[in-house]
Amino acid sequence: MGEAQSPVSAVSARSEPGREAPGTQRKHREISSGISRNAKRRLVAWVCGVLVVLLMVFFLAPFIWMIAYSLYPSAALQGSTLDMGFANITFDSYSRLLSDSSFLVPMANSAIVGLSTTIICMTIGAASAYAIARFKFRGRQPLLLSMMTVQAIPVIVLAVPLFILLRSVGLYDQLFGLIITYTAFILPLVIWMLVGFFEDIPPSLERAARIDGCNRLQIMYKIAFPLAAPGMAATAILAFITSWSDFFLAKVLTISTATTLPVRTAAFQGLFAMDYTSAATAGVITAVPVLILTLIAQKWIISGLTEGAVKG
Amino acid sequence: MAQIELIHVSKTYGPTKHGRNAEPAVCDLSYVIEDGHFVSLLGPSGCGKSTTLNMIAGLEDISSGTILIDSHRVDDLDPDKRDLAFVFQDYALYPHMSVYENIAFGLRMRKVPKSEIETRVTDAARRLEIEQTLQSKPKKLSGGQRQRVALARAIARRPSVFLFDEPLSNLDALLRDQTRSELKLLHRELGATSVYVTHDQEEAMTLSDRIAVMSRGRLEQFGTPYEVYHEPATEFVASFVGKPRMNLFTVTKAEIGRYGLPGTTFTIDIGDIGMDQVRVGLRPEECDLHPADDGAPGHGVVKAVEPLGNVSDVLVTVGDQIFMSRVPGFGNYTVGDHVNINVTRARIHCFDQKSGTRVDH
Repeated sequence: MGEAQSPVSAVSARSEPGREAPGTQRKHREISSGISRNAKRRLVAWVCGVLVVLLMVFFLAPFIWMIAYSLYPSAALQGSTLDMGFANITFDSYSRLLSDSSFLVPMANSAIVGLSTTIICMTIGAASAYAIARFKFRGRQPLLLSMMTVQAIPVIVLAVPLFILLRSVGLYDQLFGLIITYTAFILPLVIWMLVGFFEDIPPSLERAARIDGCNRLQIMYKIAFPLAAPGMAATAILAFITSWSDFFLAKVLTISTATTLPVRTAAFQGLFAMDYTSAATAGVITAVPVLILTLIAQKWIISGLTEGAVKG
Repeated sequence: MAQIELIHVSKTYGPTKHGRNAEPAVCDLSYVIEDGHFVSLLGPSGCGKSTTLNMIAGLEDISSGTILIDSHRVDDLDPDKRDLAFVFQDYALYPHMSVYENIAFGLRMRKVPKSEIETRVTDAARRLEIEQTLQSKPKKLSGGQRQRVALARAIARRPSVFLFDEPLSNLDALLRDQTRSELKLLHRELGATSVYVTHDQEEAMTLSDRIAVMSRGRLEQFGTPYEVYHEPATEFVASFVGKPRMNLFTVTKAEIGRYGLPGTTFTIDIGDIGMDQVRVGLRPEECDLHPADDGAPGHGVVKAVEPLGNVSDVLVTVGDQIFMSRVPGFGNYTVGDHVNINVTRARIHCFDQKSGTRVDH
């Protein structure tokens, strides 16, 4: 970690026997116990570092393996020896998939469903969350709690009723059917998250805006939304990722026309054979937007925009 | 310029969780804030002073009564229609806007022409010496600079009424004194009617033309700083205003015109007020101490001496009361000294024991 020599050892090296400075005895004790405080701190930091690296390997290994599968021909990876030279890298599977309409349509479906769900959730969610955060009305807390209760119900319990419901109203295998289903699942979470962000905005800012001549709507889009922007962006990204990468509901509620990317990716696993390269490539293509958006969201969450708003 | 009139203004919040009616936050306030006056609302936390200010601003509805600004009823108008500016305790600067935009925001919302906005923002920034920070975001500024931006935002609007909600309470002591002086100069320069909420009596005394002392949602006294200090209308005002705190104790009629502290030799001449017992108030700086004659017990015994440099506060135990006297310099008293209290040059304030109201004598 590049720390300077331990001051403890420096002091004890200079001190003469019989003329110990106050506190030296304690330092001697530390050394005699075998390890100084600084050394102990360094050791802990080192152990933590190793653990973090191990954890990263644990989490990233499947992803790296998936990228490897998408870049190398199956033969290079399935033989008795791995042949992972740079010369073997090929983007064939990417070009093949990205020119295959049976893959592009589900990809477009996923994008449409993801974006639509996000826009609907954010429009309704932001207004609802602002109202819940700022207006004190009867049943406010139970309302918030009931939203969370919906989240606690396993999706699998609702899958069959949803299937029957959507089929009976003609929305089975329709993008719109998926969009409203995802909205129903994601909206409570969006509201729950946004309420927290709006509550963090100091009320005096909104009172100042009222004095400055803003009405409720103007306060919302001129003051509250810009201030909650990082939180709103993070929430929107979460909503998009959730709907973009959902497999289970999409599998149950679509069959062909409205199939989404995760369902199409799973379809590479045949009954008797598995096209590993295509599955891995599709996996990477599905994961890349999620990865990029997560990185952006992380940056926005960290930047605390309200800093400096009020005293401090 | 504007005159503000409060007529029987009350504020009651809804029933509590247990269904009981809440105590009124503000009860039956009636007074007139004259045009161009600087009026402080002074009182302890929870006395309703901020609620009163918010009601004048229109940030809170009133439960009953009327508020007039320049004889026009405003209590059903939105805050922005009342032609006033508000300086918040926590500054309330918009963090996503630059200092310039913060000052200009209120003007933009009122559709002031762009060139006029620029003139007003520059003028306000010049007055408060924040021209260098116009392009910065509030989070880059120090507490003092933020407070100046908040003031500039109010000034740029050129309203007829300024409302201040404890604007100096977040500044450190030195900066607070400096800003207080500047605020006084600013008020003299602008001449706009100002209402200032504070719990700091020094701020109220130094800045105000009139002080409204409040307690438990009620108005205790509305008067000049001189009246509030020298002629407190109630025992609460007497005890709240003045540092060190006024000596307040109950005396009993001893002989005609003289009242004494039971169990002690301390008596004072109040005159015939026709009451057997009365609460008496004496300012510590108006009471003198003299060493008791050799061997005599005197009125009391020195309990502690608190030197402040130019003066010293001497605490004297008189019976079961603690009496404070402010003496010049470091004083010549030590703990255990027997002393007599001389109140000949003191104004004696009398208050009714039950109601706490002032009794003239």
